[in-house]
Amino acid sequence: MSTPSGTKAQSVGPLSGAAIKDMLLAARLPIAIVVTLVLFGLVEPRVLSLGNFRNIAIQASYLAIFAMAQTMVILTRGFDLSLGYTVSLVSVAASMAMVAMGGGDASILYGIGIGILIAAVIGLANGLLIAGIGINPLVTTLGMANMVMALASTISGGFPVTGLPRGLTAEFAQGSLLSIPIPIWFAGLVYALLFLTLKATKFGRSLYIIGANPRAAVAAGIRTLPVLVLAYTLCAVLAALGALLLTARTGSGEPNLGGNLTLEAIAAAVVGGVRLSGGEGGVGAALLGALFITVLSNGMNLVQIDGYLQQICLGVIIIVSLIVNRDVARR
Amino acid sequence: MLEVTGFTKRFRGIAALDNVDFSLNEGEVHALLGENGAGKSTLINLIAGTFPWAEGVYRINGRTITSLTPQVAQEIGIAAVFQEFSLVPDLTVLENIFLGREQSGSFFLKRRQMRQAGTELLDGLGFHLPLDEKVAFLSRAQKQMVEIAKALRMRPKVLILDEPTASLTDGEADKLFHAVALLKARGVGIIYVSHRMSEIRNLSDRVTVLRGGKRIGTVVTSEISDEGLIEMMVGRPVEQLFPSIEHRPGAARLEVQNLTTQDHSVIGASFVARAGEVVGLAGLVGCGRSELCRAVFGLETIEAGTITVGDKTIARPSPASMLANKVCYFPADRGSEGLAMARSARENATMSSLDLPALSAGPVLKFWREREVIKAPLADLALRPMAPERKVSAFSGGNQQKLMLARGLMRPFDVYLFDEPTVGIDVGAKVDVYNLIKSLVEAGASVVVSTSELPELINLASRVYVMHEGKVVAELGQAELTEAQILSHYFGGRA
Repeated sequence: MSTPSGTKAQSVGPLSGAAIKDMLLAARLPIAIVVTLVLFGLVEPRVLSLGNFRNIAIQASYLAIFAMAQTMVILTRGFDLSLGYTVSLVSVAASMAMVAMGGGDASILYGIGIGILIAAVIGLANGLLIAGIGINPLVTTLGMANMVMALASTISGGFPVTGLPRGLTAEFAQGSLLSIPIPIWFAGLVYALLFLTLKATKFGRSLYIIGANPRAAVAAGIRTLPVLVLAYTLCAVLAALGALLLTARTGSGEPNLGGNLTLEAIAAAVVGGVRLSGGEGGVGAALLGALFITVLSNGMNLVQIDGYLQQICLGVIIIVSLIVNRDVARR
Repeated sequence: MLEVTGFTKRFRGIAALDNVDFSLNEGEVHALLGENGAGKSTLINLIAGTFPWAEGVYRINGRTITSLTPQVAQEIGIAAVFQEFSLVPDLTVLENIFLGREQSGSFFLKRRQMRQAGTELLDGLGFHLPLDEKVAFLSRAQKQMVEIAKALRMRPKVLILDEPTASLTDGEADKLFHAVALLKARGVGIIYVSHRMSEIRNLSDRVTVLRGGKRIGTVVTSEISDEGLIEMMVGRPVEQLFPSIEHRPGAARLEVQNLTTQDHSVIGASFVARAGEVVGLAGLVGCGRSELCRAVFGLETIEAGTITVGDKTIARPSPASMLANKVCYFPADRGSEGLAMARSARENATMSSLDLPALSAGPVLKFWREREVIKAPLADLALRPMAPERKVSAFSGGNQQKLMLARGLMRPFDVYLFDEPTVGIDVGAKVDVYNLIKSLVEAGASVVVSTSELPELINLASRVYVMHEGKVVAELGQAELTEAQILSHYFGGRA
């Protein structure tokens, strides 16, 4: 009676208006990515060049790995605020190990081993403090972030660690396989592994149940301690993987490598649709979120928007997508 | 006094309320009855101004109201006490009662006046509450009283009570009934929503039954039988609420001796549950019967005592180990402890069964077999709608309860612990739960039911243990199971 247009739309064709709306909402992020690319492309054609696409894909790979790592703990209603500084510490510690081992290509494995080990210890400590003793994730990982940051600055003296093996910085970092750059392979690999973990393991399912309702998980007989410890450890180890890839690209161990990464990774996951309240979302969402943010900042760089203005735009986008995601989840 | 006609409300195109008429007289208690999703909540929310109605006429005291907000509703004398409390836990009883309506002079609050008014209000209702206690420290029943007092400080003409006794024990509920009678005598009209037949019978003058958003009928309470009301509500005759259970007590399946929890909510409790029987745990809310079940399942820390399942003594129970020992527990509060609301029905049905060989091999979850595995349990429980991929939060209360019960049907258990199995679910779903208990027991399982519903204890159990202040104070055999017998032990007396 009051909405004749609504009934008209429903009777047209096999797809009702509501069904099309649902489909558009489900695909909102891919649509946003394409629209953003096209809009920036209209102002600056270089945005749409093949070379730039390659650039975007490589840049997004790093962020995607960090965002997927965060997703593993955000799903459990947690956070890892120490992720960024873990990246810094792994970068300098692995670099120093490689330099100390002579800086030859044989030292690369030592660096990787040390980096992963350090991250595993950080993640394990986070997990045990949060799940074992029951300290709030925010406080735990914030404290850990401080310690890790101090450690990274202390051991490096605050200066970049140079003299890394060429095998890492040149051949590996610039390399590609089947003409796809190495970082993209790693992001894809991490995505595939985590996707399977979430879908086809008891651990993955437990993450969702714990995140959706931790008390119900306990009452259902799910052992939350090992699940949470593993989640935080996995998050830190994946951060270390990203840190090693970034270190290879920059060519030196950087004590300031991860400063902004913590929040960027959380933002990417949340923009993608991973719910901060836990139990909803997936690594695919984190991947898309990372791609969207990268496309946006790449576009803003190419059309030469001022750096601070870029930050403001990013902030607005994050808040807007949070509101959109929340409203979609409520439907 | 209050009259609505042709009330209609649609949510996303679906009519939650369809052309419903309702009227309320001064000094009348008018009960609203219906299954979950029948439209009761929608109707009272429209009357209270929570959201606007699409079609219909709203008249109060001869005045026609065209639009309403909760604030305007309060001003024209309509107050509502919903199931979700609107109290601020960190404020005191007094502060909560006058929240948003503080009486103040030019600058400072008139504390003494407010205190006096608050005392008068509570005394008038026969409620004894500590005015300066923070609401967070009150029992649920006391919070309910504060909520009612808060609703009444505006001297409303119409009071809406939405399942006010859902989590009260009988003793606490009596106080509420007393207050309802007082208000009625003062000429307040009361809209009373409840699932409990006995309350509707004792309190109400008229009953309006809703089903599927439509008004099925309005009847004078004294002129209709319980069976008649249930038939109106579910749309078909229901022979009986409780099935007759054949108890064949066999070997002891669960034996608890001198159990004391760390927080002393249970002190030295002992009981035994045998195969083929239903054992009831009775007592006031807070008497320790819930905590006893939780402690057995490993959800409360145990200080002393032994728990024996079959012939195995379990030193430190945990939910995982108890499930492995074939003990299943259904929490009282499905929202806070039973279900992962944001996840699908499928994931909730399997969440306590991920270790089953049918569902996993080592760390691998056989997600491709999940739908097959849950098919029979969900069909047995008659889940409506049968939509395993739908989020649990999108199901009605009764069907959410079924989804929680599904975990008990995923594999055979020896012992089932039910804590308040029918809180807040409609009659149809209650019958389903009772029949489930019957089939479990008659298949040889041992069932423990902790409940504040006396009829459930009398009709389902073969033996009942009554608890008071953490201790088991009485054990009653089937011959002694009467309301009077059970109640006589509620306050610890040895009658």
